[in-house]
Amino acid sequence: MKSKILTWMAWMAAIAVFCIPLVAHHGTGVSYDASKPVTFKAVVTEFHYANPHPQLFFDVTDEKGDVVHWSGEFYPNPSQLVQEGWGKKRSEAALVPGTQITITLAPSRAGAPVGAILKLINDKGEALLGVLGPGGPPPVPEQKSGEQKPAEQK
Amino acid sequence: MNIRLLTAGISLAGTLVFTSGALGQGGPAHNPANDNKPYDKHDLKGVWSRNGSPLGYGGGGTCRDCGDRGYGVKVPELTPLGQKMFDANKPSYGRLLGSADAAAHPEEHIGRRRAVPPANGSDPYQYCNPQGIPRALLYPDPVEFVVLPDRIYQMIEWGYAFRTIWTDGRAPLKDADQPRWWGYSTGKWDGDTFVVDTYSFDERTWVDFFGYPHSTDMHLQERYKRTAYDVLELSMTIEDPKVYKGPYVSDPKKFRLIDQPKTVDGWRSLMEDVCAPADEVDQFDKRIRDPAGGVQH
Repeated sequence: MKSKILTWMAWMAAIAVFCIPLVAHHGTGVSYDASKPVTFKAVVTEFHYANPHPQLFFDVTDEKGDVVHWSGEFYPNPSQLVQEGWGKKRSEAALVPGTQITITLAPSRAGAPVGAILKLINDKGEALLGVLGPGGPPPVPEQKSGEQKPAEQK
Repeated sequence: MNIRLLTAGISLAGTLVFTSGALGQGGPAHNPANDNKPYDKHDLKGVWSRNGSPLGYGGGGTCRDCGDRGYGVKVPELTPLGQKMFDANKPSYGRLLGSADAAAHPEEHIGRRRAVPPANGSDPYQYCNPQGIPRALLYPDPVEFVVLPDRIYQMIEWGYAFRTIWTDGRAPLKDADQPRWWGYSTGKWDGDTFVVDTYSFDERTWVDFFGYPHSTDMHLQERYKRTAYDVLELSMTIEDPKVYKGPYVSDPKKFRLIDQPKTVDGWRSLMEDVCAPADEVDQFDKRIRDPAGGVQH
């Protein structure tokens, strides 16, 4: 009984955390397959704090040593990010070129090296721009409390 | 222990059920502190949002699959012209066309089960064209009503647009020389209901995010009713005989009064949620949106 309830609660929590951020709103969500998330260690090459889609470009080195240029879009837009304390200056400082990251994406259904960013962690273990998937560390201290976590994509 | 676990489980289930239900209806969060506040039923000024978060954000906090960015689930039969226009529109909202998810919901109108990646779609807003109404009112981010003696401005954050509703007593303009993205709107009070009639639309806008069409001849009537200090209810009716064989009545929409949003600097105002082609079309679409949909530049 106990284990069944715990299992059920875990599933519900996972659904709540995972599904809500994937509700698409500028309609781009249908381009990605959230059922097949991929995770990479990568290096930031470029970041644009743009409305309504902040964009991240990064390099991933595969097992053969080849570098693949990836890109990803954030689901929260700047209007949502600022509600969580992620203004432009803070965001750009967190993602300067050369930053080491661990990133989880819902990849493009078309197979291109593009994805929707589900989880983004720096080498200190901090979640960046409020993008925090299940099992990640708690929000960084600067984040304001009592305000709604940005959750969705424009 | 088991009882506590069970209680926690039921509580979580309740939260999810109620949350999803509220979100599905676009129902903003209820703040009991506002229940007994006095208000003027004829005062519409302020920032209103259909989103339930404290500051009216979350990209809606609403469920795409619940159709909250839709105008109404009871779609009238389309005319032959209406069907042609409907088929020409390729939205990116709703269930993915051809997916198991879409097939699992035959009870939904096909308009909500035909989404394609934006790279393959035809949504005019993907290129930052004006959303027009009623579509702009369906996106659940803040809308500020600025009430002046002879007009009301609706400042729409998503897209950073505004429309004018004239209240100076002028007659509606039913067949304007030049149709507009936002049409020509007049408003007046009918008892405690503020009634807005809009005509002469540019037919390139969509009724909602699912690509339902309209013609230049569409007549949109919006009926706003403030039913509590922080509650504004909206119902709409479209009459467009060229496209729909009967009136198209919206699902009820409910707004909550919220504080002005604020930036990280503490600056309170609507956010500049503009869709700038320099950012969206030239940058995002070419480098991310289109490759994600299999289109390379």
